[in-house]
Amino acid sequence: MILLDRVTKNYNRRGTALKNISLHIEPQEFVIIVGPSGAGKSTLLKLLTREEKPTSGKIIVNGIDYETLRNRNIPYLRRKIGVVFQDFKLLPNKTVFENVSFALEIVGMGNREIRHTVPKVLAIVGLVGKEDNYPSELSGGERQRLAIARAVARQPKILIADEPTGNLDIKHAWDVIKVLEKINKYGTTVILTTHNQEIVNKLKRRVIAIKDGQVISDKASGGYH
Amino acid sequence: MRSKLITLRRIIIAGCKDFSRNSWLSVAAIAVMVVALIMITLTLVLNITARNAISELSKNLKVSVYLKDDAPQSQINKMRQEFYTNPYVADVQYISKDQAQEKFVNSFQKDQKLLEGLALIGGNALPASIDVSVRDLSQIQDVGNIAKQSKYKNIVDSVSLGKTDARKTIDRAAAAQRYITMASLVAAIIFGVVSMLIIFNTIRMAIFSRGEEIKIMKLIGATPGYIRGPFLIEAGLYGVVAGVIAAGVVLSLVYSLGGKVASQAEFAPTYQYLTQPSIIAVLFAGSILLGILLGVMSSTFAMEKHLKLKHW
Repeated sequence: MILLDRVTKNYNRRGTALKNISLHIEPQEFVIIVGPSGAGKSTLLKLLTREEKPTSGKIIVNGIDYETLRNRNIPYLRRKIGVVFQDFKLLPNKTVFENVSFALEIVGMGNREIRHTVPKVLAIVGLVGKEDNYPSELSGGERQRLAIARAVARQPKILIADEPTGNLDIKHAWDVIKVLEKINKYGTTVILTTHNQEIVNKLKRRVIAIKDGQVISDKASGGYH
Repeated sequence: MRSKLITLRRIIIAGCKDFSRNSWLSVAAIAVMVVALIMITLTLVLNITARNAISELSKNLKVSVYLKDDAPQSQINKMRQEFYTNPYVADVQYISKDQAQEKFVNSFQKDQKLLEGLALIGGNALPASIDVSVRDLSQIQDVGNIAKQSKYKNIVDSVSLGKTDARKTIDRAAAAQRYITMASLVAAIIFGVVSMLIIFNTIRMAIFSRGEEIKIMKLIGATPGYIRGPFLIEAGLYGVVAGVIAAGVVLSLVYSLGGKVASQAEFAPTYQYLTQPSIIAVLFAGSILLGILLGVMSSTFAMEKHLKLKHW
C-alpha cells in the first residue's frame, strides 16, 4: 500500500529533515508514528500527500510511483488520501454539513448522493444534530471529528491524521481516537502521528519511532519510549 | 460527463456568489469598465457617422453640365461618350427636361408657394443636364473641363462643379474624423488599461481574502480549474454587466443626439443604419464580449501572479 525506499528530504536552509527512510505499510494497517517535534514526522506526511517532493528515494502509494506522477494528477491522488490536520483546517463560514459536502462537491459528486452520504459520515463521527452549526460553535473534539468526517467522506484508502489530538484534552482526544479505530475497522489504512504516550500505550498498534530524521524503532505492538 | 456538468454548474454558482459578495469592489470594477467600453464603442459609432457623412456630402459633388434647349441629341451623345471613357468618371446620368421638372417638384413639395409660382410661369423652364460623378474629388476640375471644350460650345449652356463650399466642409469633416478617431482611441486604451488594473486588483483582493479556503481546497483534492473557475466567472460577470450598461448608454446617445440630426441628409442613412435591430444586437453582443474579454484577461493575470497553483 505505502512503500518508502531510502527516502531523503533536504530543506535548503533547515538542513536534512529525513535521512534514508525505508518503510512499508500494509493495507488496512493502523500505524502510529511517534517522535519529538522536529524529528521529521510532518515532513514524512507531507511527502505522502505530495505537498513536498523527496530529495532522493522512491515513494509508491497505492501503486502510484510519485516520481512519475504528473502535477496535474496530484488532485486526484489527494482524493484517495484523506488528511486530518492538527489545526482542523475547517472552513469557518460553512456549516458542519457544508464542510463535509464541500469535499464531495470538489470531486463532482451529485447533489442527491451528497445529501445521502453526508449524514452517514456525520453519524460515524458522532456529529448527528450538529449539521447546521458552524465550526466556531463546536468544541475542539467536535471540530476534529468534523475534520475526520470530511477526510473520510470520499472513502479514501488511506487516512493520515497529523497530531489530531494535539489541541485536545484527554477525553476529547479519546473520542477522536475511537473514531479513527472505527474507520480503520471499516478497511481504511490509518497513519496517526501523536505525542500522547497514553494513547500509544493503550492502542497496542504498530509504532514507528522517528528521531532526527531516522527510524529508530518499528514495533508491531509497541509502547511509547 | 455528468459529473463534469455538475462541476461546471458549481463553478458558475460559486462565481456568481463571489460576484455578489464583493459587491463594492464589483461596482468599482464595473464602473471603470463601462467607461472603457463606452469609449471604444463611441469611437466606432463616431467613425461610422463621420465616414457616412463624408460620403453623403461627396455625392453632392458632381459635375453638372446644363444643356441648351436646342442641343442636338447626336452631339449630346458624343459628349456622354467622352465622359464615359474618362477613367476618373464614376457615373454619367442624363436628366431630361421632364425629369428635371419632376425632381424639382419632388424636392420642393412642401413649398407650395414656389410650386404655384412655377405653375404660373407655365411650360418647363428647367434645362436638361448631364450629371457626372467622379471617383476622386481632386479630379473634378479636369472632368469639368471636358464640357468646357470649344467643340461643345453650342450645346453646353453652363458647367457647375457642385457646391464649392461643400468641398471645404468635406475637408473639415475628414480632418475632424481623423482627430476624433485618434482622441477616442487613446481614451479607450487608457480606460481599458485602467479597468484591467482595477479588475486585476479586485481579483487579487478576492484571492487574498480567500487564501485559507484556497489552501484547504488544494489539500483536499480540488483541481486548479475548480479553484480558478469561480474567479473567471466573477470577472466575466463584470464584463457582461459593464457591456450591457455601456451598450445601453451608447444606444441612448445615438437615439437622443442622432434623433436631432437625423433630418439632415448627411446623417440620415447613418442614423437609420445604427438603429436597425440587427446593428443594435451587434452593438450589445460586441460590447458584452469585449467586456468579458477584458475581465477574463485581467483576472487571468491576477491568478498567474497571486494564485500559486503551480506549486501544488
